Amino acid sequence: MLLGIGRRIATTVVTLFGVSVVIFVILRLLPGNAVTASLGVSAGLLTHAQLVALNHYYGIGQPLLNQYADWVGSTFSGNLGISLAARVSVASLIGSALPVTLELAIAAMLLGLLIGVGFGVLGALRPGRIADDIGQGVAVFGLGVPSFIIGTGLVTFLASTFHYFPSSQAFAGLFSNPWLNVQQIFFPALALSLGIGAAIMRTTRAAVLEVTNLNFTRTARGKGLSPSAVTWRHLLLNALVPIVTMSGIQLGYLLGGTVIIEQIFVLPGLGRLLVTSINNRDFPVVQTLTLLFATGFVIVNMLVDVLYTVIDPRTRSR
Amino acid sequence: MSTPWTPAPAPAAPPAPLPTRLDDVAEPERRSLLGALVHNRNGRVGCVLVAIVVLAAIVAAAGGTPYSPTYADASAALKGVSLHHLFGTDQFGRDVFSLVLQGIGVSLEIAVVAVLIAGVVGTVAGIVAGFLGRWPSLLIMRVTDILFAIPAILLALAIVTALGPGWLNSALAIGVGYVPIFVRVVRGPVLALREADFVRAGRVLGFSRTRLLLRHILPNVGGAVAVQTSLALSWAVLAEASLSFLGLGPPPPTASLGEMVSQSSSLAGIAWWTLAGPSIAIVLAVIGFNFVGDGLRDAFDPRARNR
Repeated sequence: MLLGIGRRIATTVVTLFGVSVVIFVILRLLPGNAVTASLGVSAGLLTHAQLVALNHYYGIGQPLLNQYADWVGSTFSGNLGISLAARVSVASLIGSALPVTLELAIAAMLLGLLIGVGFGVLGALRPGRIADDIGQGVAVFGLGVPSFIIGTGLVTFLASTFHYFPSSQAFAGLFSNPWLNVQQIFFPALALSLGIGAAIMRTTRAAVLEVTNLNFTRTARGKGLSPSAVTWRHLLLNALVPIVTMSGIQLGYLLGGTVIIEQIFVLPGLGRLLVTSINNRDFPVVQTLTLLFATGFVIVNMLVDVLYTVIDPRTRSR
Repeated sequence: MSTPWTPAPAPAAPPAPLPTRLDDVAEPERRSLLGALVHNRNGRVGCVLVAIVVLAAIVAAAGGTPYSPTYADASAALKGVSLHHLFGTDQFGRDVFSLVLQGIGVSLEIAVVAVLIAGVVGTVAGIVAGFLGRWPSLLIMRVTDILFAIPAILLALAIVTALGPGWLNSALAIGVGYVPIFVRVVRGPVLALREADFVRAGRVLGFSRTRLLLRHILPNVGGAVAVQTSLALSWAVLAEASLSFLGLGPPPPTASLGEMVSQSSSLAGIAWWTLAGPSIAIVLAVIGFNFVGDGLRDAFDPRARNR
């Protein structure tokens, strides 16, 4: 089991290395360079000596391999570079934005699991009944309506009906003003969670239905176990692997989704930082943020794989 | 043409006897694609929705929109839904319905090109990874894993940032994000098919690799590719709308559905139709292609076949 986990960590490191190369290559396609990006038109007014000095400062003109090594090396040592637009260190920008996105992502995932597993199990236990129909309706809605439409709709609905503007007050920290923070996180998390919940619900429903017809479930019922014990210990536990898999897959969509939802609800998270940086052509921030998102995704996927061995003893022998 | 142990073509059909392939023996007869699709409830609904969306795109391409999408009548700004303006008008007095039709056209164009890129590249890579030797396979699967590790929409964002906005760039960015899925979907069946009896038989008979690939393996992954193409179109429409929502879609004056949604957020309180129009279009396309994909999946039932 430990060997398997070790091997999984090794592949993760290799993948992350590849990810950093891909991001580096893509963003090197950028027309212009750090100098023109930070100075705009006025870059044309630089004297030759100034240009040479700036090029040296940003590492332009060095072989690509050196630039890449520089980037990876300094990233590892914790120096993420300086934002071209905000003129502060990228690390401090990320430090203030990361908790917001983390909180949003976790809240959305929890809501999604609640909706998905809840309706999925209810629907599978009594297919065709009201709870199942509601669940199926929510699933079609969540799969078909993109989160940014749900988000835009929510914002306008809240504004026109309750005169509530989520962006009217500065974002409150979870610990400094918990009540306001919950208000500000709940609606964006809800907008994000419907799509995730829908996918998890379909997986849960199918997985539970599949287990329902197996012999051990019939035996469990036959020997007089209470329905709740059958549901929790026999059905749900055995349906857990596909549910966890689907949740891991949804996390990728979730990370992408936060980028857009933070824009709509004006949350000062990583996604908003990314879009602002893209618009400002703030290339060190874009590069590092993309890597950060990918790293988060890869690591969670690794954890999901490790989780299999915990929840399903059958996968341990491999 | 015919192989030693296939039943001879019926003698009663002299004009152009169908080429008899080993596949015909290995595979049970299938219903026609459309027949199987319509047989399935989701598939039926999906077909209707996709037909509506495609029709809208054709109307827009043929210049059949009720008003010119760029025609702004300031005196008719923010008019509600009426027979003259099916989806009302926006803040400049443009007809939202005409804008939506044009937006659907642009969106479909980008989505189709994106999926074409992803489908061709991904299928070829998947076949190579499944059929050729160990090293190409290992290389392709590593690259796939790496691309897979970057959430697709973020990959698209990074690529659009690098290339700059524009419809071909959007299509490229969206397409690249979907390549790994095609690779995985194709490689699995190819690996299984490589050891299937009819392919082994072909190999024993001395068929060339190309022939085995094109005539025996490719037709059998067609189903999986078709399902994935449909799901990819659904995703591509969504991704295009997301990119243009963030202001990274094709630059104006091209109408785009995502941008319309983003513009409507400040208006929707007083003019809900500016949000409803483009949203309906996006949802119809996303659900439509998704349902067609579901229907195709049920029709081909790759699960039952690949086991």
